Amino acid sequence: MSPHKPEEPDNSDDADELNLSPLKLPANCTTPPPRPHVGRVLLHSVEITTPRSFPKLAFTASPAPSTRQPLAKIPTTTTGVACHVAELVAASPSRPSPFQNVLPPQNSPNRTDQLPSTTSRDRLQSKSPKKDQSPASRPQSPTRIPRSLPSHLGTCLRLQKSAMLSELQNCSMECDEGASLGPVNTAASQQLKDLLAGTVTRGEGNSCFVLGPRGSGKTAIVDRAIASLDQTPIVIRLSGHTELNDRLALREIARQLSLQTGKTYLGELNNDDDQDDDDNPFLDASPSIDIPPPSHLPALVSALTTLSRPVVVILDAFDLFALHARQALLYCLLDTAQSCKVGQGHNGIAVIGVTTRIDTINLLEKRVKSRFSGRMLRTAAPTELSFWMKLIERVLRARIEPQEEEWEPLWTLAIDNFITDRKVLEQIQETVAVTRDIRVLQRILIGVVAALAPSSPFPTCAQLISAVHAQRICDPFPHLSTLPYPSVCLLIAAVHAHTAGHDAITFEMLYDAFREQYRASAAAPIQVAGGSIGMSRCTREVLMRGFERLIGERIFICITASSTSIAPGFARYRSALTWDDVKRAVDKMGKTNLKKWLTKAQ
Amino acid sequence: MALDETNSLSRLTEQFPGYEKFTSHITSVTLSFVLPFLYITDRHNPRITASLLNQIYRNSGDCSPTHFAHINATACFTARLLYDTVLNALAGWEVTWENGCQNWPGEDGKRYNDSIDSFLHGLRNLRNKSWGGTAKGSGRTADEEPRMVLLIERAERLKDNLPDLIVPLTRLAELSQVKITTILLSSARWEDIKPPLGASPDPYFIDIDPPSKQDTVDSLLFEFRSASITHARADKQDKTYHPSLLPLYEQYVEHVYNVCSLYTTDIQELQYIAAARWPGFVKPVLREQSDAHGDGDPDPDGTCTELTLPASDGRMRLLKFFTPSLTTALDVLYPRLTNATDWALANDPDMQASEEAQCQTNTEGSIIVDHLPRMSKFILLAAFLASTNPAKSDVRMFGRGADKQKRRRRKSASPKKAGAQTTVAKVSQRLLGPVVFPLDRLLAILGALLEENDVENRPHEPWFELPGEYTDMELGRVHIYAAITELTSMRALHRTTAVEKLEGPPMYKCGISFWVAGALAKDLQVPLNDLMWDPV
Repeated sequence: MSPHKPEEPDNSDDADELNLSPLKLPANCTTPPPRPHVGRVLLHSVEITTPRSFPKLAFTASPAPSTRQPLAKIPTTTTGVACHVAELVAASPSRPSPFQNVLPPQNSPNRTDQLPSTTSRDRLQSKSPKKDQSPASRPQSPTRIPRSLPSHLGTCLRLQKSAMLSELQNCSMECDEGASLGPVNTAASQQLKDLLAGTVTRGEGNSCFVLGPRGSGKTAIVDRAIASLDQTPIVIRLSGHTELNDRLALREIARQLSLQTGKTYLGELNNDDDQDDDDNPFLDASPSIDIPPPSHLPALVSALTTLSRPVVVILDAFDLFALHARQALLYCLLDTAQSCKVGQGHNGIAVIGVTTRIDTINLLEKRVKSRFSGRMLRTAAPTELSFWMKLIERVLRARIEPQEEEWEPLWTLAIDNFITDRKVLEQIQETVAVTRDIRVLQRILIGVVAALAPSSPFPTCAQLISAVHAQRICDPFPHLSTLPYPSVCLLIAAVHAHTAGHDAITFEMLYDAFREQYRASAAAPIQVAGGSIGMSRCTREVLMRGFERLIGERIFICITASSTSIAPGFARYRSALTWDDVKRAVDKMGKTNLKKWLTKAQ
Repeated sequence: MALDETNSLSRLTEQFPGYEKFTSHITSVTLSFVLPFLYITDRHNPRITASLLNQIYRNSGDCSPTHFAHINATACFTARLLYDTVLNALAGWEVTWENGCQNWPGEDGKRYNDSIDSFLHGLRNLRNKSWGGTAKGSGRTADEEPRMVLLIERAERLKDNLPDLIVPLTRLAELSQVKITTILLSSARWEDIKPPLGASPDPYFIDIDPPSKQDTVDSLLFEFRSASITHARADKQDKTYHPSLLPLYEQYVEHVYNVCSLYTTDIQELQYIAAARWPGFVKPVLREQSDAHGDGDPDPDGTCTELTLPASDGRMRLLKFFTPSLTTALDVLYPRLTNATDWALANDPDMQASEEAQCQTNTEGSIIVDHLPRMSKFILLAAFLASTNPAKSDVRMFGRGADKQKRRRRKSASPKKAGAQTTVAKVSQRLLGPVVFPLDRLLAILGALLEENDVENRPHEPWFELPGEYTDMELGRVHIYAAITELTSMRALHRTTAVEKLEGPPMYKCGISFWVAGALAKDLQVPLNDLMWDPV
């Protein structure tokens, strides 16, 4: 440190030497050329390709007993180093630097938390000298990533964030373009396009399924195929989640048709409905819905081919339509599609069923199945990791027009480091191995992007891991250790009841157990360091509040239907937690009295 | 605009301490339409989170076209209510007397509340309308589609009230083709309300961390400041919330937190307790002030004068003096056994000693039995025994031999010891809840009770010669049946068979708790514990 900055007082450096030679070194090696200390040059060549083993190695190398103190000091000193470097760079005029305005980073409030990120950043920083040696393709190429963002780059970060988010939005809507779609989806997409082209241009009646797991791009393929048609057909979108029966679906078809053609269908029904409205406005919704009678169904559906334009009917969640009574809607639709022959002056109709259920065809009745063409287009997300990595890279490298020109090289460097990080790769690999739902990956990336802030402006592995934990592998009850005392008492009592063989618990049982425990602990008061470690007092009503809270969080699950004749204290519940969960929470809380109660044999 | 944004953000930070991270997270996630569906789990202060979200989206109107609807799933308990509330809020439509109290009419005058399809049409209509409106009005580019945000508070209620609507609500953007973000806010997990078969897409999860002590204290202090501002505006002579008391309040709040945080860390509960105690707490301080100023002239501009706060030892004495009352406040106010005003009156520091008895509120909460006639008390006691003891133990517990000698063959072993032999210890019926018994059994036990405990109190009637004859006569009286019916109507007994059912004896269940029964037994001088199969 000191040789680069002679005007800097030496004492800070000395402190570094004393406290932690190991971790200062990687930070040090980022400093530009003049390297008088031979030892440091050697360490610089220790290389950085083994990211995780490096800090460990450094620690084992240090002979000092690894007590808490030096550990806690590490971030401080490294911040100090970074600060010095920044000042130094700013001071040396010979070297063009993007860090003219780098502010000395503040001492962050939680230093110990920073430890892992510090090491990884050191690793990132240590890469930079190599970049420096590369030919000066980018004269302004940054050598290192600042810890926190200089204030004038704040708008750049905001722009970058919104660019990445809109990129993410596109990737969910359109999946991906062209060849990177994966072989399965490309084939399906082409087949669907051909099929729709047949309907639209030649007036064929077609029907097909688009089958595939969730997030594999079914809806995207259908949407893209429709958008690629040269003639706009009438598109009717029905979803099995909203159309709970055929009559609702029929009404919806009529409504969408009249919106797209300007004519009214089922007009006489609406008149009836108006009269109903005048009758009694306070009537409940269900009886006064203007649902057409089922007898209108065949008439309306067979009219689809006589319209001025070809019709595409998209049935989302197709398997749910198969559960409707007598499958009348499907029968009519597929019958119309099948009987729609080319050259009869009709326009074409295409019925596209979109579903995840693989055995949907078996759900169809015989008469319906025989009218279905049997065409099934499969979709599947690409299996190669490279596709997903490319996707991530595309999102993270979203282009913006930055106002500050130093932003782009800085960001590129940060993304380079992020993408090549081995841990990041591991996380992505694991995620893709578990699920190929593009939306999961999208959510994880959103978590990473949203966590970017001026204090941590560049994506890190830690952010990725925390996003993965938040979106994919949620801890079911992360808050148990922060529950208030009454609730934890009830949990312990419930665990003991479970151990005793009582799965169903009532509040009275738990309260009785608590009283028993309280009495026992009050009978033999134990004092440690002047404070009692016995159970704290808790009234029945306060415990009841805790009980209600646990019910509200669905930790206690009701197993009998509640009734007015059962007092709340006697309603039966089941605890969703196991002994291990409670044990972990109680250990984390660190209350001796509760620990003792939990481990007490009964 | 950026200045505006930072201003409102800093105001939010001040009002909701500890939420900075969440605020920046949620604003960056929902700034552009990326996520159609978010799920926020807040197990600690969901109401505060809801009001924070409310403020975020209500105030963001000027920087991006956002329509915002904040509904509570408890209030919207039918589908129609939900549709109407959402559409009215999104359209900014106020239901008033002048417009005929009608819902948002849309442009075609159709109803949008009869089914989910109509609701989706309503959303689309709204989108088209506001899209066209803004494009014309402020010359915005037409492709800037308005974004909508739908926040549903207490979303766990949807599962009970509107299970059919969960899937459409979570897929709202996809179904309606409108850029609408659905945010479900709940204290339960998504797994608990998730519809089966993966019908809903998985949401973007956000968990809210519990507030730290400093955050809690800060938000209570913020409330104090806003209270003092409103008091100053109202120009009251009352100095309870005088701004210069803030340092004292800070200390006080920290003390409240220290006392109560073991039992609850809910900010609003702490606020409730703190607000209930504060006027009493600050009373001695204010009185000292007015004494020092002289009682004669309550100065007209009293709000402007600074109050001198007690020295540190005085504060410590105050805090120490009020600690027990904070504990009682927690015990009473946290379960809402009474309200804060009544409690503050009852626990006024001036008359605390005299009102000690008042403090003993109806903590049992259920049924007050003091005023009942003697026979009704016996009936209740008999009902309790009939509900608690197993039916086959009645002969042992209440039977008498011909020699009038009590021959109880109570199971001598305690239930715990019995449990040690079998694999599963039986839980006492007292803890599992009352069982159902027929009326005949109630009358039989009542007879036994009366014969044991009541005969001596009756005036001697010469025409009853046989032992037990008098009691039999008493049992046959119609007022016994009347009393049972009366007790049923006051829910001290629960009748489990329908009233109109004729066959079989009517069945009942006891509605009083063990503690009430104990009090009754004491009153009647009946040894309750001896009569119970599982003695306590």
